[in-house]
Amino acid sequence: MSGESPSFLERHQFLIYRLFSLAGFVPVGAFLIVHLLTNASILAGDGGRTFQSRVDMIHSLGPLLVPVEWAFIFLPMIFHAVVGFVIIANGLPNVGSYPYVSNLRYTLQRATGMIAFAFIIWHIWQLHALGKPFGGGRFDAHEAASSTAAVLGSTAVSILYCIGILSAVFHFANGLWTLGITWGLWTSPAAMRRANVVSIAVGVVLAAAGLGAVAGFRSLPADSASHGHAASAVHETLPPSSP
Amino acid sequence: MAHERVLVVGGGLAGLAATMRLAELGIDVDLVSLVPVKRSHSVCAQGGINSVNALTRQQGDSEWKHFDDTVYGGDFLQHQPPVKEMADWGPKIIDLMDRLGVPFNRTSEGFRDQRRFGGTLYKRTAFAGATTGQQLLYALDEQVRRWEVEGKVRKWEFWDFLAPVLDETGRCRGAVCQDLVTMEFRSFPAGAVVLATGGNGLIYGRSTMSMVCTGSAVSRAYQAGAWYGNGEFIQVHPTAIPGADKLRLMSESARGEGGRVWVPRKPQDPRDPRSIPESERSYFLEERYPKYGNLVPRDIATREIFDICTTEGLSVEQDRLCVYLDLTHIPRETLDRKLGGILEIYEKFQGVDPRVTPMKIFPAVHYSMGGLWVDYERSATGGLVEGSFRNQQTSIPGLYAIGECDYQYHGANRLGANSLLSCIFSGLFVAPTLANACGSGSRAAGDESRLFDQEVRRQEERHRSLLARTAGVENPYGLHQELGTLMTRVATVVRRNDQLVPAYDEVCRMAERWTRCAVSDTGNWTNQNVVFTKALGDMFPIAKLILKGALLRDECRGAHFKPAFAMPGLKATDPVGRRQEAEQWCDTFEANTRRWLKSTIATCGPGGDPEISYQDVDTSLIPPRPRLYGLVGADAIEEVWKERSARATDHAGRAAQPAGAGA
Amino acid sequence: MMIRATDDAHAMTDAAGAQRGELVRVRILRQDVPSGESYWERFEVPYERNMNVISILQKIAAQARSQDGRKVAPVAWDCNCLEEVCGSCTMLINGRTRMACSALVDRLLAEDGDEIELRPMSKFPVVRDLVVDRRRLFRGLEKVEAWVPVEGSYDLGPGPRISPDEQEDAYPLSTCMSCGCCLEACPQYTKVEVVRREGESEKDFEARRKAAYDAAFVGAHAVSQAMLFNAHPTGRMIADERMKALTRQGGIQMCGNAQNCVAVCPKGIPLTRSIARAGRAATVWAIKRLFDR
Repeated sequence: MSGESPSFLERHQFLIYRLFSLAGFVPVGAFLIVHLLTNASILAGDGGRTFQSRVDMIHSLGPLLVPVEWAFIFLPMIFHAVVGFVIIANGLPNVGSYPYVSNLRYTLQRATGMIAFAFIIWHIWQLHALGKPFGGGRFDAHEAASSTAAVLGSTAVSILYCIGILSAVFHFANGLWTLGITWGLWTSPAAMRRANVVSIAVGVVLAAAGLGAVAGFRSLPADSASHGHAASAVHETLPPSSP
Repeated sequence: MAHERVLVVGGGLAGLAATMRLAELGIDVDLVSLVPVKRSHSVCAQGGINSVNALTRQQGDSEWKHFDDTVYGGDFLQHQPPVKEMADWGPKIIDLMDRLGVPFNRTSEGFRDQRRFGGTLYKRTAFAGATTGQQLLYALDEQVRRWEVEGKVRKWEFWDFLAPVLDETGRCRGAVCQDLVTMEFRSFPAGAVVLATGGNGLIYGRSTMSMVCTGSAVSRAYQAGAWYGNGEFIQVHPTAIPGADKLRLMSESARGEGGRVWVPRKPQDPRDPRSIPESERSYFLEERYPKYGNLVPRDIATREIFDICTTEGLSVEQDRLCVYLDLTHIPRETLDRKLGGILEIYEKFQGVDPRVTPMKIFPAVHYSMGGLWVDYERSATGGLVEGSFRNQQTSIPGLYAIGECDYQYHGANRLGANSLLSCIFSGLFVAPTLANACGSGSRAAGDESRLFDQEVRRQEERHRSLLARTAGVENPYGLHQELGTLMTRVATVVRRNDQLVPAYDEVCRMAERWTRCAVSDTGNWTNQNVVFTKALGDMFPIAKLILKGALLRDECRGAHFKPAFAMPGLKATDPVGRRQEAEQWCDTFEANTRRWLKSTIATCGPGGDPEISYQDVDTSLIPPRPRLYGLVGADAIEEVWKERSARATDHAGRAAQPAGAGA
Repeated sequence: MMIRATDDAHAMTDAAGAQRGELVRVRILRQDVPSGESYWERFEVPYERNMNVISILQKIAAQARSQDGRKVAPVAWDCNCLEEVCGSCTMLINGRTRMACSALVDRLLAEDGDEIELRPMSKFPVVRDLVVDRRRLFRGLEKVEAWVPVEGSYDLGPGPRISPDEQEDAYPLSTCMSCGCCLEACPQYTKVEVVRREGESEKDFEARRKAAYDAAFVGAHAVSQAMLFNAHPTGRMIADERMKALTRQGGIQMCGNAQNCVAVCPKGIPLTRSIARAGRAATVWAIKRLFDR
């Protein structure tokens, strides 16, 4: 029940929800695409050289990297997450009573959002420099492939990464479709169906890239350095066929 | 004068139209309805709304012809000035509804499309898909909602009108109503009270009417002294879908769009209807009425369908009476575009696609032509004086009636697509009258509150005594079923005095049994049980006046058909004999007109028994003439009739003004 | 509203051939008063051919006895037209929101075992048994100003010319009967129940109730009506007002795209199309407002 005067959040609900929707696409979604495709470069078959060069490119920002990360990744993501939790808290999923595909997607959108959020926290703790004070932060920009491979060496971690990546990808691809409705890009049922095909395609490509990267890191020889020799095994363990 | 409120009872087309116009005139309105007004029975009207339009005008149509078709279709039983006024208002009412956003079907140029309905030769009917009533109602509902936001209208939804409150001079000062949720009683003092409470189909048990159409509000006004007019005229719609809980309407537009009614020539032919060859089908309406075909007026279509099933034994099914209504020759896209809504209803409730398989239909009680007697003030031109306090006023001063619950517009039989017009017209037209009525009667405030307190106490007492009746033996639902079955059997398509006499006694016994009805819910919160029992009790006085009116009216007129008094067609085949018979026929017709062209007026006597009297009908604009649809020898009769009317006109020495006005 | 027993030997239609003898079992979630305890009660009624849930409830009202023979108050429910145009008789039938009049018993038994379950709608406060208070639904129509703002009802000539395509686009939206199915099935539309406080005046209570309604999601039906009137040549003259309403708290942004509304709508109204159009209109409107101000 609302009080006498609506809160800031209530007064600007439309704007906040639209920014929330937008943030999911750019920059958060865009970052997801870049991130997954960058990681997928581990599949180049050169033992991580391409991957390392991409990482180097990112890190060439030097001292600017931290503000850029915060401005374009962390803050938008936190905003998206916080508003997302408010939305989830106010919804009442009912897929049991109304087992329609789009309703299932509604429920999954919320579930994958929460999973992806938890995963990202964990992922940041584990690999990002921010995790260092808490015993994580194991990614080494100079040894990008091998430091990542070391973390993903654990099967349990890899499985959790696969779940996390798939959640994030579903959340993004499905979110892309709903974003189009929210903003009014596709309005007719037929247009929604066409947009759906595109969203599914985007999802499949990103899922392939994400899972492929996990497989790629895992197939790097444990002792192979980022500047080291290509591992011939890479080709034999290309990503599992697309989900 | 504007600080007095108007109480509108009923939120269908008529009630909402009146409310909208009143609010516009600056009057504050209390709008009481049994259901949220958007759920009123008007939503069930499917086919359309009649009015002369640019197209028909160029084909020779005019307001006068619409008026003529209406009174001719109604067998001249309605006073003509109000009907003339309504027909004159037709075009502007359609324009208004168009402006309010009703999604009328369109021609390729973007003008309103029209279709043809029964009882006319012109395409006069504007329509919005197959839910015209719903669309019209919603447009008015939206405007009233707008006025509600403005604070001019206060809605009382889920409230039941219990009684008008009359002062010592007999003028209506307001009403007492009951909240159907909390069961509390409340007084509604008002400068004028207008009933717009619709028909009373539930007296017949199952009908095409909605569950609120019990006629209870009208009955309560009648029991308080208002006269009831033409009660015996009940329209039976020729085409309804038989169902266990309700007889669902199949709109006349199904025939308007080319639907054909037929039965197999072989009784109960077991073959799939689609495989029955044309030669073995009887398109009996087209055969008997070549001019109008499947679009004969409703009373005739009903009787023919009833007759072919009962007298001729050609019902499609063995154990259930029905005929085919066939649309399968019309392209699917046309059907979907023009009739989508009603065909979906058939499909939904019968599980059969009427685009592929002919529908099975049978007549059902549909509309109450009769209703509260209302007055009018005739203008010099033969229409009505707008704003006159007499317009739509019942015999109780200050109490008005509009829409289906008045007796004014449809005479002995209503033409299709005229009801929506009459509802909106009477609603709009009564508004200035009500505005004028506000503040017209002097009053003493102190006395008034005493009057209301008295009535509230009386209603509380009635309510309490009903709740206390738990030891009763009669089940109200069972009793209602009995009443419906009896009324349907004796007082619908065919009426016989030897059935009506015992039926009247039987209804009296039922009314007596009602006093022993037990309510199974004795609570005082949303008690639908006691509300229904109350409404049932109020059905008996109306059922009685319908039966008594039918019994006393020894003739055939419109929907009232007594085979014993039917005027058969001509038998002779030679010109001289035919001429002679035609002369006799016209003599009989004239005598019958003198005897029976009168409004039946019922007043409520002691014990709810009606006292019937008759009142002359104002037929000054269009002289009555025989309705000859499909009669054998119609040509000969018409010839004689024309000669006679010409003579009469000459004799009177006055120009046939009305006929001329239409040219 | 009114209830009535069915009549199995009707003089005019002579309904015969129903399979007699069999009983239909019904389980109804009852509640005597608002905010009261709810409880299940079982009933049995004789089966009839072509029976719907309305006929079951009519029979229950007539017999006023539960399955175990106890005398109980009849179940309260809303209905009126019985042909799915008035929007009264919405309830949860076998867990799904639908109209009781068009819910045929044969199909229900075929889809869900040997017992039919009836519950009141869960998104609206229960008044009694299956009767719920749907005033919030109508408040939504007020909020989006779902009407054509005509300048009075006097004769000012015909309405605007409208192409057949526009009419065919508008008509389905205009058949919305305010039944509330779209709201019941919507995971984003949650119950708002305002109870009158001790000593609160009727006026204050009304104001508080409306404010509470306005703060919550307006719902698919109202969004669709807003689009209907924004497409009408006269209606769109207050399009800005409607867009303001749709972008206020509880507006179009609350939609979660579950699309249940369109799946459960008994009239097959393209609600998601309306929602997407509202989304587009809101986008354009917000941007215009940003730069025009």
